[in-house]
Amino acid sequence: MKRRRRTEILINGSQKRSEDMADCIKDNYQVKVIQEPESGLVMLKVRETSQKSLFFPGEVLITECKVQIQGSIGIGIVAGDQPELSYNLAVIDAAYEAMLPETIGWKLLLENEEKIIQEQRTAANHSILKTKVNFETMDV
Amino acid sequence: MGYVAVKGGTHAIEESIKRLKYERVHHGQTIEVEKIKAGMRGLVDQVMSESSLYNETLAALAIKQAEGNPEEAVFLLRAYRSTVPRKHYSRVIETGQMNVDRRISASFKDIPGGQILGATTDYTHRLLDFNLMDESDADVQEWLHQYLNESFQGDEQQLTLPKVLDYLRKEGLIPTCENNDMEPDDVTRESLEFPSSRSQRLQILTRGETGAITSLAYAVIRGYGALHPTVGELRVGTLPVTIDHPTDAGDDDDAFYIGEVKVTEVEMLMPVTVEKEYGKKELEFEIGYGLVFGQNETKAIAMGILDNCLEHPTPDFPSHNEEFVLYHIDSVESTGFISHLKMPHYVTFQSKLDSVRKTKKEGISKGQEVKS
Repeated sequence: MKRRRRTEILINGSQKRSEDMADCIKDNYQVKVIQEPESGLVMLKVRETSQKSLFFPGEVLITECKVQIQGSIGIGIVAGDQPELSYNLAVIDAAYEAMLPETIGWKLLLENEEKIIQEQRTAANHSILKTKVNFETMDV
Repeated sequence: MGYVAVKGGTHAIEESIKRLKYERVHHGQTIEVEKIKAGMRGLVDQVMSESSLYNETLAALAIKQAEGNPEEAVFLLRAYRSTVPRKHYSRVIETGQMNVDRRISASFKDIPGGQILGATTDYTHRLLDFNLMDESDADVQEWLHQYLNESFQGDEQQLTLPKVLDYLRKEGLIPTCENNDMEPDDVTRESLEFPSSRSQRLQILTRGETGAITSLAYAVIRGYGALHPTVGELRVGTLPVTIDHPTDAGDDDDAFYIGEVKVTEVEMLMPVTVEKEYGKKELEFEIGYGLVFGQNETKAIAMGILDNCLEHPTPDFPSHNEEFVLYHIDSVESTGFISHLKMPHYVTFQSKLDSVRKTKKEGISKGQEVKS
């Protein structure tokens, strides 16, 4: 599973899921912390829709962490002040970079988590869609 | 009377700071940061937008420390922002990817995907709700439980909707344009110089003080400008943020997803008469663009109006003068300068006082000469 998809699942899904996955690596491999979880900023780059040019609307606070497993570096980055999650994300990223055998079984776990997230989003969307206007043209 | 510079006041300042804390806590109660986040969404969004730092917890903390004063909260957050390293730039965020919480158009009734009101005060009576005086956490939780269990009749699921502008471009009502991927300027790294670039203008407008931007845009509509705007599309929703791997950048699939930001985005439509071949005149639309952190619709609309004003500089109106607009809408700049007038100016004022005394004295002696 590609990084974009898996990080979206891990960040939007249950924190227990990322914790369990990271624990399974920490229990079996030596994890070297290269950079402890620390705060930083990410400057957003947005394309405005009037002239389709780019501009910087502002920054987002993030927590970033870097670890190394078997020579492979993993990075965990998440919006907000979330040191534990950024560490777990870094461990999981390093596991994928090192192509550890545990990552093979994670595909199904992540797909199941993705389904739960989609169900939650659909429920939230349904709630919003109740506010959709149903116009009726009046006969005058 | 001569004057001397003086020093001192250290003890008074220390006591003043204690007095400030006393004012914040003298009711014997404190407000939790989580409560501010939960119940003051509008203020949190405004502070994040004007600070140009997206983090609800820090904005709520700044609001608590500033006792709800937005200008002070923004100052605190901007100061904090300057101490944190910028580690990355996001990949380009295309706002068409927004998961919409609210989406309306004042120009077109039937837009693809429909008019979705979402959460808005637009259709409320603005009557004080005295029931909120005794509202408890338990009441709120009970209401939430009921609301979230209400069923939905319909088969729609997605809230990633087509843009009204794309529809207008397809119709030929507004000119099409290609993506412009030129790297934007950054006013937080390089001071603004005139003439400004479009990216600088948009960055300063989106960081602008809500009241200032709104007032200037209102002045434009009242006649101190040359625009007649309509809301083409207004959206409130969340945008996914991704960043490239720092050493191994690939395509979007290889990027890190880091979370979402909630924004308000507006495209304002302005009808303009364009001269075509052989003197033929045609009516077309121009677009003013607004995008701000959080749900702050008035500011986003006002930003869209001012964006278009600044695209058409004219000496007739200050609202079309980039120096006038961009130098005066920043919260920290404007409140900082105005409030610095409270600081001791004893020496400079004393010299003015001396000048006044001197001119009065000269005036009196001249008067006496005339009389004699």
